[in-house]
Amino acid sequence: MAGLLKKIFLADLFQGLWVTFRNQDPKLIYTERYPEERPKVAERYRGAPRLNINPDNGETLCIACNLCALACPETLIVVTSERNEETKRKELTTFTYDTSRCMFCGLCEDACPVDALELTQDFEMATYTREGQIWDRQTLEEGPRPTQYKC
Amino acid sequence: MAATPWESDLASEIRERFGEGISATSTYLGQNFIVARPDLAIPILEFLKLDCDFDYLVDLTAVDWPKRAERFDIVYILYSFSRNERVRLKIQIADGYKPETAVGVHLTANWLEREVYDMFGVEFAGHPDMRRILMPDEWEGFPLRKDYGILQQDQRWVRENLGIESGQ
Amino acid sequence: MADTTFLDSTELVLNMGPQHPSTHGVLRVILKLDGEKVLGTECIIGYLHRGVEKIAENRTYAQFNPYVDRMDYVAAISNGLGYCLAVEKLLNVEVPARAQAIRVILTELNRIASHLLWLGTHALDIGAITPVFYCLREREEALKIFEKYCGARLTTHAFRIGGLLYETYDGFEQEIIDFCKMFLPHVDEYEELLTNNRIWVGRLKDVGILSGDECKEFGVTGPVLRAAGVKWDLRKAQPYSGYEKYDFEIPTRTNGDTYDRYIVRMEEMRQSVRIMEQAVAAIPEGPIMGKVGKVIKPPVGEAYVSIEAPKGELGYYAVSDGSTQPYRVRVRPPSFVNLQALDRMIRGGLVADVVAVIGTLDIVLGEIDR
Ligand code: SF4
Ligand code: SF4
Repeated sequence: MAGLLKKIFLADLFQGLWVTFRNQDPKLIYTERYPEERPKVAERYRGAPRLNINPDNGETLCIACNLCALACPETLIVVTSERNEETKRKELTTFTYDTSRCMFCGLCEDACPVDALELTQDFEMATYTREGQIWDRQTLEEGPRPTQYKC
Repeated sequence: MAATPWESDLASEIRERFGEGISATSTYLGQNFIVARPDLAIPILEFLKLDCDFDYLVDLTAVDWPKRAERFDIVYILYSFSRNERVRLKIQIADGYKPETAVGVHLTANWLEREVYDMFGVEFAGHPDMRRILMPDEWEGFPLRKDYGILQQDQRWVRENLGIESGQ
Repeated sequence: MADTTFLDSTELVLNMGPQHPSTHGVLRVILKLDGEKVLGTECIIGYLHRGVEKIAENRTYAQFNPYVDRMDYVAAISNGLGYCLAVEKLLNVEVPARAQAIRVILTELNRIASHLLWLGTHALDIGAITPVFYCLREREEALKIFEKYCGARLTTHAFRIGGLLYETYDGFEQEIIDFCKMFLPHVDEYEELLTNNRIWVGRLKDVGILSGDECKEFGVTGPVLRAAGVKWDLRKAQPYSGYEKYDFEIPTRTNGDTYDRYIVRMEEMRQSVRIMEQAVAAIPEGPIMGKVGKVIKPPVGEAYVSIEAPKGELGYYAVSDGSTQPYRVRVRPPSFVNLQALDRMIRGGLVADVVAVIGTLDIVLGEIDR
């Protein structure tokens, strides 16, 4: 009997509608208005790569040990170096990082002994060309320069 | 640590029943496995299912050892719900040997055997539907064989079907 | 000559997919129909085949770890756990208790995230638009925790062989507790929306029945098996990663139809919350990395390790030849094996049920095709 009444008065329908009604509260809005409102990116986020430079003298921290290139499963990092005859140390000449093939797993970052390579919180890495996805040393040190749009 | 002999009632029962055909019953890292003659695979699976309650074929796969005369290991991983126990059955077969299908014993084997055929080129005799499953039907070569390079592909198929020179 | 059937109508062969919103990826199902009735099906898979097992043979053990996340991308952490456990088994190393507890918390959180995505899309397939918004809202909270913990939301690469790389962040415990508190009322909310809804019940009850024996025959595991009345869960049957320490139930139902599988999964989410609450209350102190060298080089041998992933038994069969690269890694994907039972489940059903049954199997094509 109770079941029949429930059926006639559409109890299940109103039960569901009550749930949706409860969730209408403007306080519960969840949408992020992305370009205007920057999302909060976690501190450990693995985003755009960066090659750190020493803030005191502007020299790169990288010692050109090639460990990151060896650690990478996609072998997308190419490091070249030159031996400096005065100091008898290897010096970094070029550093190429193909972000189009990167899966942001963080293994290169873990492998770096001097924390020179770092995956940062930047996430806006889109470019108009495939070539633009291949970052050289300068881009890695200074960060990408996305086109700025005024609105 | 190498594999040690597996001593239990089940192991001795299998050894007794199939005699010469069983070349090893061992255990490694606490996991038991049986190595048997290829033609005994189906009788052993049947025996394990009907008499010992190993009613769930977890996985069926192959491993390629190109340097060996019996090139492929076919591995059956079995589980028994009532005993809560796993056992692996391995047979070693030469390239070109057609092991009998296990579909008659465990229905699961259907797709799993198709995958082994697709990846290793091991055909199963009596299988109801021996076709490729993951790769395109006309693809040539068996990707998971050790002599198939990681960058290798069926150039002709790529050119004909995708209209490009290389899929890499 | 075409087969003629009742009323002299001919069989109709219909392609569903590969680009069909309710095949949840690139699955193609060829349906043989007589009017609305399904006479038979055939699944064509492989559109997403990337050769993960081949990649494994050409990478080192540690390098292969991020690739497993890309199989079942909805439950990447479960994949990672299975792979790490398999290599740890080969290496025969012990994972510290602290790492185990954190692993359990994250895996259970991932189970909830996976089930939420399943619930949302399944409801969407059936025609209920609302739940998907709510489900994704709660899933977002879980993904935020992943992002804070390991820096990625979906393909997490959270665990390392031998333990963990990342310590928990400040406030991790509190966030888990808050999530559990926030989440339980929401499960009730979903149930309020769906459980008694007459369209939902009408579409799901007695659809796609698979009995317990048939499940065993087809090797079907996970919620599908439990909905058919088999009380079997690897976390209880063969506990790994310290699951034996936690107190939880295995939800089961008896009919084995689509509706029961829905109920089982809802209950599973509640049980996951229970496990997380217990685990987070007692995270032991100590190291998070076991004794593994920088170079991972397991001795010659092989091991099969499986875990209870959200979709069923996920197994890794790893063979080592003593080098730094795996000789062979075989993944036993639950979705692949479960999908095989699709034909048995919908034969004789209606076309509309196909969508319900594909949804209820909770397949992820990335895992099927690997
Ligand atoms: S994040 Fe991973 S894939 Fe990308 S460069 Fe580093 S190691 Fe290679
Ligand atoms: S591992 Fe670090 S220091 Fe070594 S080459 Fe890479 S970025 Fe430079």
